[in-house]
Amino acid sequence: MSLLQADDITVRDGTTTLLAPVSLRLDPGEPLVVLGETGSGKSLLAQALMGTLPLGLEAKGQVTIGAQVLNSGAPDQFRGLWGREISVLPQEPWLSLDPLMRAQAQIAEGHCLVRGLPPREARIRAASDLSELGLADAAARYPHELSGGMAQRVAIAAARAGGARIVIADEPTKGLDAARRDEVANLLLNEMGQSGGLLIITHDLALAERIGGQLIVLRAGEVVERGATRAVFAAPGQSYTRDLLAANPENWTGKAAAAPAGTAVISSRNLSLARGRRTLFRDVSLDIAAGQVFGVTGPSGCGKSSLGDTLLGVIPPLQGQVQRQPGLHPFAFQKLYQDPVAAFPPRRTIGETLMDVVKMTRSDPRDVDRLLDGLGLQPDLLARRPGAVSGGELQRLSLLRVLLRRPAFIFADEPTSRLDPITQARVIKLLTNATESDGIALMLVSHDQALIRNTADAVLPLTPPCDPARAAAKKRVAIALQ
Amino acid sequence: MSAIVSRLVQALMVAILIGTATFVMMRSLPGDAAWRIAAGRYGYDNVDAAAADAVRAELGLDGPAHMALLQWLGDLVRLDFGNSLVTGQPVVDEIAHQLGASASLALVAVLLSLVIGPPLGILAGLRPGGRLDRALLVTSTGIKAVPQFLVALVLIVILAVQLRWLPAAGHGAARHFILPSLTLALGLAAVNARIARDAMARIADMPFWRFAQWKGLSERQTLLRHGLRNVSVPLITYLGLQFVTLVEGVIIVESVFGWPGIGHALVHAIFSRDVPMVQGTALVLGLGFVLVNAAIDLAIRHLDPRTAA
Repeated sequence: MSLLQADDITVRDGTTTLLAPVSLRLDPGEPLVVLGETGSGKSLLAQALMGTLPLGLEAKGQVTIGAQVLNSGAPDQFRGLWGREISVLPQEPWLSLDPLMRAQAQIAEGHCLVRGLPPREARIRAASDLSELGLADAAARYPHELSGGMAQRVAIAAARAGGARIVIADEPTKGLDAARRDEVANLLLNEMGQSGGLLIITHDLALAERIGGQLIVLRAGEVVERGATRAVFAAPGQSYTRDLLAANPENWTGKAAAAPAGTAVISSRNLSLARGRRTLFRDVSLDIAAGQVFGVTGPSGCGKSSLGDTLLGVIPPLQGQVQRQPGLHPFAFQKLYQDPVAAFPPRRTIGETLMDVVKMTRSDPRDVDRLLDGLGLQPDLLARRPGAVSGGELQRLSLLRVLLRRPAFIFADEPTSRLDPITQARVIKLLTNATESDGIALMLVSHDQALIRNTADAVLPLTPPCDPARAAAKKRVAIALQ
Repeated sequence: MSAIVSRLVQALMVAILIGTATFVMMRSLPGDAAWRIAAGRYGYDNVDAAAADAVRAELGLDGPAHMALLQWLGDLVRLDFGNSLVTGQPVVDEIAHQLGASASLALVAVLLSLVIGPPLGILAGLRPGGRLDRALLVTSTGIKAVPQFLVALVLIVILAVQLRWLPAAGHGAARHFILPSLTLALGLAAVNARIARDAMARIADMPFWRFAQWKGLSERQTLLRHGLRNVSVPLITYLGLQFVTLVEGVIIVESVFGWPGIGHALVHAIFSRDVPMVQGTALVLGLGFVLVNAAIDLAIRHLDPRTAA
């Protein structure tokens, strides 16, 4: 008996088909992963199963949950199942908790109002949920007093308090580093246990591999491939799946041995940095030479971005020095930002923005065409505004803008963390090629250790800041999982 | 703790500023203050030069300004507000008497506005762009655009003169409260309905609102458990600012309805150049503003633990 069965789910926006008929079934104890890039329709599929499609989108198909048969074209029917049969783990757990309510109360209300336990018993259950997740001391805390990982666990407990056996998690690891990603994967598998259902929607290949179970690969609203996750990862049957797996930084071919480094374009000696009263790191000494790729890796909050900003002279160091190669203009030191959409003025066309840079630097307008060609971009993109360009294209355009300044050093701050794997592989390739051929020193910052390992000539791993609360909590989860 | 200290400093600044400003303003008003004060005491028909001179001598109105100011502020420090120039009674007693009438009117008005405004605003905010939302926008803008004395007159004409349901003016019985407090409440509700509406629309768009529904809570449970508390934070914060509107409103509304409160007293004190009374009332209103905001700070800290950090 399957927990959930969906037959021929389609999603349409007027006459445009966004999701071609997809059928799937969810069995107890066997997770199902829906893998796809941005725009593949994977989130629409989850929303159609939940009855939460945005207004204007129309779904068709039949969803069977337990003994109930529902029409996904009538989203109102689903409302009564929320929390009782299906629960959703939100993308951003921190923002999904009521900021003015203590953690335990947010869980207890599910036990009380949805499951129907008396208030006293609901509180006891909520407290035991928390201590099972290693969060016994977080019961009385407000969300702003929880770390991201703790918030995620509270959200999972709150989502399941109503008694739902099926958990749908939409991009549960968005923006998390490798350690946290594995933590979340283990937590979800543990919560599913032998009798629960788990449906994971993601673009994260490492998460998919970690979760295992069954896999559906979606592209542009169509199923490309399906099968057991392990089998598909071992031997992908379709060329698209092969591309997707090859784009996983884990599977990139490592960088050839680096040529001996020349003179340093930028270097630091015994650099220490603090944010507020907290020391981020101490005694960092580094040299980055022309044409060299210098990787910096480490978990969120360890000071990777701050290190780059200090090298650029944006943040003053606590101690130590930064030396830039003499004779270079300050503009020769450039930064490539994480979120390309935020790095472009929204109401001007990209062409106008780029021409501003050309005018300011008094460079040759033909450089733009040359660079467009080199970065594989269509010239007609210049007439569009940033909102009307895909993330991958926009990040290449912002690389183009940086290259227009003829930089000697580029600090690329998580330049691909918001892109899907295939686009990420392409952008990183273009970035490293461009810096290598033009002799630019590149500092590449990423939380993805595999990406850095297979791209950089030298790697600086930054260790996480000491956070006793989180470290202790992590240990307890590890015990619970055993 | 530091919040309380800063409010105390603020209260001190308010006292010095109001003391100095009222003093300067009253000194620089055109006309002979002694004549006006004498007229206030004895009636316009009974004033002559001799009476005015007697007042001048009694109050030292001829003396140098800076000496008078220092003495003025010195008295303030000793909490001595002096006697009313008109009635000769201590200012403190007069104000204590009038403040009660004003405070009860203001309190009823605020409560009434909270009954009218936020519920409508919350309902409108749950369906942004809906019929109620659009109607509320037009109505609240309309009410806010009309001066308060006009709102008062319209209410008098309709409810008191035409329908004869309520007394047009007066003080004493409960029904006398209805028209003046309604006038004040409409002005307040026009704004706090918008605040509640915007807060509700913003909150209903937040991930935690959706998540509460996904957890299985009904629309009503979500509103009661996650909506009201979150809406109340900006609403209460804004209530502190609305105190200014309320003071303005009290002055006008009390004059229109003949309500024997502090606003009414302030207007009369200004007409008759009763400087100690002007200062006393302005000071009570100014310090009231600081006090109300201090109370609101404490309430917000209690409601929203993030602000305490």
